[in-house]
Amino acid sequence: MQNTATASRPRRGSGNWMALFSIVFIIGLYLLSTHSPGTILSNPKLQIVKMMFISVIIEALPFILIGVIVSALLEVFVSEQTIKRLIPRNPLLGIVAASFIGIIFPICECGMVPAIRRLIHKGVPLYAATTFLVVGPILNPIVFWSTFTAFRNKPEIVWSRMGLAFAAAIVIGLIVHRFVKTDQLKSAASHDHGHGLGHDHAHHDHNHLHDDHNRHHGHAHHHPKPNRAMGKLVDVMSHSIGEFFSMGKYLMIGALLVGLLQAFVTRGTLEALGHGPAGSGAIMMGLGFLLSLCSTSDAFVAQSFTTTFAPGALVAFMVLGPMLNLKGLLMMSAVFKTRFVLLYGALVAVIVYAGTWALGQFIL
Amino acid sequence: MTTNRLAPLLHHAVRLTILFGLTAYIAYLSLTGQILLFIAPQLVKYVDLAAICMALFMIGQLYLLVRSFREPVPSCACGAADGHSHGDDHGHSHEPTGGPVKNGLVYGLFLLPVLLGLLMPNEAFAGSLAHNKGMNLGVFTGGGMPADLARLDGGEDPDLKTLFRSDTYNRDYAKLGMLLYKQDKIVMSDEWFIEKLQAMNTFVDNFQGKTLQITGFVYREDGLPANQLIIGRMAMTHCIADISPYGIIAEADNAASFANDTWVTITGTLSKTTSHEMPVIKLMIQSTEPASAPSIPYIYPDWDFAKKLK
Repeated sequence: MQNTATASRPRRGSGNWMALFSIVFIIGLYLLSTHSPGTILSNPKLQIVKMMFISVIIEALPFILIGVIVSALLEVFVSEQTIKRLIPRNPLLGIVAASFIGIIFPICECGMVPAIRRLIHKGVPLYAATTFLVVGPILNPIVFWSTFTAFRNKPEIVWSRMGLAFAAAIVIGLIVHRFVKTDQLKSAASHDHGHGLGHDHAHHDHNHLHDDHNRHHGHAHHHPKPNRAMGKLVDVMSHSIGEFFSMGKYLMIGALLVGLLQAFVTRGTLEALGHGPAGSGAIMMGLGFLLSLCSTSDAFVAQSFTTTFAPGALVAFMVLGPMLNLKGLLMMSAVFKTRFVLLYGALVAVIVYAGTWALGQFIL
Repeated sequence: MTTNRLAPLLHHAVRLTILFGLTAYIAYLSLTGQILLFIAPQLVKYVDLAAICMALFMIGQLYLLVRSFREPVPSCACGAADGHSHGDDHGHSHEPTGGPVKNGLVYGLFLLPVLLGLLMPNEAFAGSLAHNKGMNLGVFTGGGMPADLARLDGGEDPDLKTLFRSDTYNRDYAKLGMLLYKQDKIVMSDEWFIEKLQAMNTFVDNFQGKTLQITGFVYREDGLPANQLIIGRMAMTHCIADISPYGIIAEADNAASFANDTWVTITGTLSKTTSHEMPVIKLMIQSTEPASAPSIPYIYPDWDFAKKLK
């Protein structure tokens, strides 16, 4: 991508084009739907889009804010040395450790993505971060409980979901460890609002060498008047706000797309596409990707498909959705290079598909 | 240099406006109770906290705005003071990158939910969306206990136990089924709507001839015979992106006279039929009366249902 090579065109992020597209789409919808302004606003499809859009935003907001604040706290208070001490030297151990962090840190992908960027900047290896990203939204007590509630009669579905997520995380972590050696974070250039307004040093790739320097001197002298504690508070605040705007943009686009899909794609259309075990797994994975549901609520949606889809396909839906979905992918593209996002998507899709096939053969 | 000074000010001001807009809109929804049209009740407290958090961000943003007024050339460490260069080309100005059009679009995206929220009335989804979702007859799986059930004698009668033979997995539905069985009239109220439906569909044969009353919207699925319709409710887990319809098939000779999406209260006796090759209960309509849609028409799965049964 052009923006990674030259920093001179900093705002060529795909997100901006997506924003443009979304707004044009909305305006198009607005103009095409009917004739007089009053009736446009009461158009039932537009009404569905609007309600879905706002609903997804409101639902995700608390979790995004948690992620954004954790990320800002990490930036201001946790040093690289601390992180380095905490990460196990052995990669396999690191991967296993990362997949268990989700259990004590139950947070969905909305909150995870902002924190991940900061963690990688602070020296967490990419493979450990990726493992966490894969497994965190699924392997945690809240998701276990909601899945168990929805599939009270079929505990094997609950265990399959948890087990497959864990296995997929280990495999993906190992593959990333083995094959991806270079820096996959998006360069500073494409973070529009980060710098300037947020004092966001960490967005800058070439910053690695200067991190210590920053920490010791940087914050000390940008706020000459207030005392140190006040300075830290302002830092946390401005980092949080900067991050909120850079991540929130992707949430807005994702929510809009989810709203459009819900309004215009019917469940019947999807079901008609997927018959036979091979097809139904793929269809449910596609649905999991598109719907972008929160991992704690998707179990009930999966339950509503029990009459039409095999258990394997339901597990595919509940494992793939939280790892890889439209909203999350947009947010990831704010953090990682496009190539890595594509690699991640392909790995998740292939492994979940193979995993549910194996489950279908032997367990479900 | 004027643009150099104005741009960051403008950014801070726009961000302040956006934070204010979002916070005020959520506060409005929460105070008027309309928030329940968007999310499930158990999430409201988190969203309230989020609104408080954004209000704090507003204060922070106001501080940043005031600071950039007072110090037009910001004394920020990410700049020349450190000596390390980042973004050689944008030097270290706090000038926002990108053209005003793109910035406008991105910020516009944040205001879109507020604008749409103000321009369009909030609406609950009942029947109209069921068509996109496909009705769920609650065949498979499986606040305190609803009052009508709590009044019943929990003592287990051996005859009932043989009727509701259970294994480890459907024990909870068997228990609920026994309670429902003891009722003269089973009323499908908001509480435990899904759980009751699933208990009855787990033990379809035991409920033949029982009287049941249900209030919901009328809905028809493709392939439904002319003398049948579905009385349904929308269940929400977290937000309206995950709502799914649940319902009971009802049958009457004059079924065609019920228009889709109208709300009715139907009383009848239970019979059975099959849906997607699974046995499900069917309601033979005896009496109907028009009902009005509740202002919050959603029902919610009860996560602690099994615990409350004991």
